[in-house]
Amino acid sequence: MADTLLELKGVRAGYGDAVVLDDVSLEVPAGESVAVLGRNGVGKSTLLLTIMGFTELRRGSILWQGEDITYLAPHLRARRGLGWVAQEREIFPSLSVEENLTVTARPGRWSVKAAFELFPRLAERRLARGNQLSGGEQQMLAIARALTTNPRLLLLDEPLEGLAPIIVEELARVIRRMTADEGTTVVLVEQHAEIALGLTEHAVVLERGSIVHRARSRELLANAALLDRYIGLKLPEAAGA
Amino acid sequence: MLTSLGGVLFDGFAYGMLLFLLSVGLSVTLGMMNFINLAHGSFGMLGGYVTVTLMDRLGWPFLATLPAAFVAAAALSVVLERLLFRHSYRAGELDQVLLTIGVVFMSVASAAYIWGTVQQPVQLPDYFTGSFTFLGVNFAYYRLFLIGTALVVTLLLVAGLEWTRFGAQVRAAVDNQRMARGLGINVNLAFAITFALGSGLAGLGGSLAIAMVGLDPDFAFAYLVYVLIVVSVGGLASIGGSFAAATVLGISDIAGKYYFPALGSFLIYLVMVGVLMWRPAGLFGKR
Ligand SMILES: Nc1ncnc2c1ncn2[C@@H]1O[C@H](COP(=O)(O)OP(=O)(O)OP(=O)(O)O)[C@@H](O)[C@H]1O
Ligand SMILES: [Mg+2]
Repeated sequence: MADTLLELKGVRAGYGDAVVLDDVSLEVPAGESVAVLGRNGVGKSTLLLTIMGFTELRRGSILWQGEDITYLAPHLRARRGLGWVAQEREIFPSLSVEENLTVTARPGRWSVKAAFELFPRLAERRLARGNQLSGGEQQMLAIARALTTNPRLLLLDEPLEGLAPIIVEELARVIRRMTADEGTTVVLVEQHAEIALGLTEHAVVLERGSIVHRARSRELLANAALLDRYIGLKLPEAAGA
Repeated sequence: MLTSLGGVLFDGFAYGMLLFLLSVGLSVTLGMMNFINLAHGSFGMLGGYVTVTLMDRLGWPFLATLPAAFVAAAALSVVLERLLFRHSYRAGELDQVLLTIGVVFMSVASAAYIWGTVQQPVQLPDYFTGSFTFLGVNFAYYRLFLIGTALVVTLLLVAGLEWTRFGAQVRAAVDNQRMARGLGINVNLAFAITFALGSGLAGLGGSLAIAMVGLDPDFAFAYLVYVLIVVSVGGLASIGGSFAAATVLGISDIAGKYYFPALGSFLIYLVMVGVLMWRPAGLFGKR
């Protein structure tokens, strides 16, 4: 029985007066990654933003390793072990690739050097500025940057979106390595549902701000009818967004 | 004519360095937090009064008052930031302008109440009063000292911002505050420290300025205009930009007053308008 890393209990959250998430409860056991699936605009990014403390939380609570962090400031959540890769990557444009990593790196398994070994392409572009990178390089840097904070839980917001197929494969391999070999737990928001389900143990499906289905990733992957209904996925080919 | 050109360039550069010290802090905090602190000039004025008071009433040597001016302005800025300013970070720009302009009025009134509205006397130490002539240009020792101080400050600032982890965190927060927080940077603390350093530099600039430009309660407003020009021409969060803008502004102002006395300060506004039409985000601006 693994410890619970993160637990959301009956969370209602949104932006200003607008409520986006309602009654979301979610448990992430240590070492068991979770895929978050759902169509565009259902609140997947908002879920990750809420876990990081960037939305207005109106109801419910968030526990981190049993401790209540509902009202903890985002930077303290990060320091306790939450890593976040934003959907828009949000590389610091005026910092070099290396600085993008060193500026927030914290001691642990993932040193800046280890991140460069994981992404040799970034090592080659060490001195380039953040705003000089291609989309694929930015995504690698965003993941590397989160990794070098040495999080216990990594929140990934559509890390494969908009990338060339060959880079999608490369990144999927990296995520598998992180989860399977290195023991990093991941909450993976992804439109590429097949890949996401192949990389995770558990899956939840969001619809209009609420979780409408929970399953083992393996079982959901086998249930073509459900996948089609919830996210319009026609197996075996992904329908795309 | 050539002699006077050399003299105008030297005096203008020295004056520009004063303007740089007075404004660089605002450029960084404006770029970092989008907080419009019009009271920045008041911190400069405070530095001037600290120097005058310590010298006049307590007999401190001039040089010893400089760090005191820095510390006093930095400390007051932290108090104001905690008590007043931080509540308006999320408010609109108009709210920030009104709040901080109110602080300027209060600082002007307080200065007039405590020190009166008269010009404060500043007696520079003897070793600063002389000058020497080289190639026909008169180099005043005090202006050389000003230039030297500003260059040292610039080097320290650039080194601190470019080569330290704290500096990188400040730049990251300027680039993207939310992401910086999400990765564990304490943006509020980084801002408070930067804000205090920037205000302290204004205090230092103010105490260095008074021997050149005098000191009365109008200082806070008179130099606010220059500070805003430097920031808008130099661009936000750019030390190099502030440095270049302050230099151009200082030289244009001195040259304008020397060659076209009838125009007064008009030339600097022409320069400002020209630069902003050419590059709306400022010389080195990112936004
Ligand atoms: N900053 C914001 N302010 C107000 N509403 C927002 C904001 N960001 C998102 N929303 C709204 O919240 C809802 C959920 O958005 P969210 O980005 O979480 O969806 P998503 O599932 O991540 O979508 P996508 O698949 O397109 O990334 C949408 O209706 C969106 O318009
Ligand atoms: Mg999203």
